[in-house]
Amino acid sequence: MQSEALLTNAPAAASMRASSRPSLSVSIRRVPTAILVVYTLLLALGLGLGSAYWAINGAPPFGGLRLGPWQAWPRLGSPEADPYMRAIIARRSDVPFATGEGIGFTASVDSDGRLLDSACSYSIGPSAPIARVWTLTLYDQAGRLPVTELGRGNFTSAEVLRDTQDRFSIALSRSVQPGNWLQLPAGGAFTLVLRLYDPPGAAGANLEESEMPVIQRLECGA
Amino acid sequence: MRGFGRFVIATLCGLVIALGVHIAAILASPYLADQDAFSKVQATLTADKAQIISAPGGANTWLPAPDPATAVATCAFDLRNGPMRVAARTGSLPLSFSFHKETGGVFFAVTDRAAVRGELEIVAMTARQLDEARAAEDENDPSRDVRIVAPELQGFVIVRVVAPAPSLRPQAEEMAKAVSCTAEQDA
Repeated sequence: MQSEALLTNAPAAASMRASSRPSLSVSIRRVPTAILVVYTLLLALGLGLGSAYWAINGAPPFGGLRLGPWQAWPRLGSPEADPYMRAIIARRSDVPFATGEGIGFTASVDSDGRLLDSACSYSIGPSAPIARVWTLTLYDQAGRLPVTELGRGNFTSAEVLRDTQDRFSIALSRSVQPGNWLQLPAGGAFTLVLRLYDPPGAAGANLEESEMPVIQRLECGA
Repeated sequence: MRGFGRFVIATLCGLVIALGVHIAAILASPYLADQDAFSKVQATLTADKAQIISAPGGANTWLPAPDPATAVATCAFDLRNGPMRVAARTGSLPLSFSFHKETGGVFFAVTDRAAVRGELEIVAMTARQLDEARAAEDENDPSRDVRIVAPELQGFVIVRVVAPAPSLRPQAEEMAKAVSCTAEQDA
């Protein structure tokens, strides 16, 4: 019986073997489909989350206002802030200036577009936009107030010394300077933030580049 | 070649889904953030006075890039406890309020230029509380409160006081600390 069964099964087995060829190619096709789906999802997650992470750690991509070296995002503190701005504010645990309260301009380059470097010396002036008070503050790369021997890291519109034409010049350098002097940190890049408190009109809307202070690079030592 | 075509289609699908993931992540992150400003100021919910989060000088603060010339104080609010009244006595130093939603974003701001007889007072409430306050109002003696409608139940107020000179910093800090934020009980 067994041998007979074997005999009768033999053609069936042979036919199965024959038909197994296309099914084999089907199974070969199916495995790459699963792999392709996994690849697609991994690609989507990696690229999507990676680009979102990159975006919220950077500066808001839209709605910027650039006046010479000074950069601001007037809509950051308004109900019209875009989703990138909201995400970036949440990420930085920041509290932006509201429209009408003030506006903050950041500069990380000088007026010729070169990165601000502590090894160089700079002169800032001669005027600033109209505001009730403005403050000019120096930060290191990480956004902290640098600790210098001078012990001051900012100037306000009330403190700065002016000439008879109401112009001012703030010197930024490592070594001591006469007049308005801010000492630069020991090394690396730095940023400047000019905050206008209670400016007239809609914040930033009517400002022009000519009103903003010029950041002039003087010389670069060792 | 056919396998390569399938690979290209899979990559394109991945890129399209990645775009969706990116948008979803950006939109969701203010709601998911547990290190945003609101979660850091939540401890001030019960306080009657604004709490300093960045004293002038800019030391010991979680605020990024603090301005050393300003005192920043905050009160969190939860309008489920009733409308919130923020009041400050203004002085010579520039003072401003900004009202922030829980999920970030400003919904109102005012400076001390709007102060009346040296007092700056704002009542934040929900639309429903505004209706109730209007209904309860005496027609012959209308309220003089400046009422603003908050889009969310929770949020926080940021008080900024500028000290134009370092010698004014203690005064700015005192002014910021003296701002009161009290939840009003519904009448």
